[in-house]
Amino acid sequence: MSPVTVIGDDVRTVEARIHGGRVLVAPESLPTAIGWALKPEGLCRDEVCVPVRDRDALVVDGLVDLAAAAYALRRPAVVDAADPERAYVAIALPAEERRRALRELEAPDITLPDLDGNPHSLSEWGGRKRLLQAFSSW
Amino acid sequence: MIAVAIDESADDVRPWVDGITMPVLLDREHVLTEVFAISNVPAVVWIDEAGRIARPTAVAFGSDMFKDFTGVGADPHLDAVRRWVREGVVDVDADTARTAVPDLTDDEVLARLHFRIGAAARRVGDDESTRRHLERAVELAPDDLTIWRAAMPLLGDDPFGEPFFAKFQAWQERGSPFHGLGALSD
Repeated sequence: MSPVTVIGDDVRTVEARIHGGRVLVAPESLPTAIGWALKPEGLCRDEVCVPVRDRDALVVDGLVDLAAAAYALRRPAVVDAADPERAYVAIALPAEERRRALRELEAPDITLPDLDGNPHSLSEWGGRKRLLQAFSSW
Repeated sequence: MIAVAIDESADDVRPWVDGITMPVLLDREHVLTEVFAISNVPAVVWIDEAGRIARPTAVAFGSDMFKDFTGVGADPHLDAVRRWVREGVVDVDADTARTAVPDLTDDEVLARLHFRIGAAARRVGDDESTRRHLERAVELAPDDLTIWRAAMPLLGDDPFGEPFFAKFQAWQERGSPFHGLGALSD
């Protein structure tokens, strides 16, 4: 097993087996890796479960393929496991959620740290008008 | 007002927000640019009391600092914000708002993923992966400044130097493509 950097809703390091360019984690590590657990109903988080159509593609020798898990969750992913010592997985938001939010004008709630590292959700300032200003130093 | 810095480190941001009392959040993974399909800064999104997007992603400057360079002043947008706050009037109708922000393309989403891997690799000193993934991100999203310009400091390039201006000019020659409403003008 090697440490793999998984960038999804958070940036996490999980132990994984790298095999043939795939990143495979133990089922008990899956919630740490991607925030979802593998259950008989499918991939589950809180009360929500997403059925898994092709469980054989997802589970390899008792380990879960992170790219297949992202695919089952309809989330685009990039896996770089060419060097087993330096493997990375990045998982995007479900594309359909973003599309729906843009179309329906629903503002997704996201959580980001302030400059001191304390997390804040946009909903903290809910109930009043909010002007989000994206800026940068570059 | 909530300011969100699309930046790698809090130290990069602090000089820009010295003395500012509004909340300033740090978005190292460019989550905001993914959920609101933002491809350049500065960009604004208006969110109403019910958590709905009152006015979607748009170009807007908070001051006239870059007016000579961009040709865009701050006043028209600030006036529109005041009308919204005081009178509840939004200058964009809902049908326009629904279609004003094209979704990110598949490549622009993949670019964000490569960008995140490049930034994460840089944090652990993995220079080869940093360069490879950031360069791939730039290839995938050549019109997205939150990718190609944000990648410049991470690759050791000056985001205010000559390579930036050359790429910026090429982007302008392609019609300055971006996601969202254009800036309000006088």
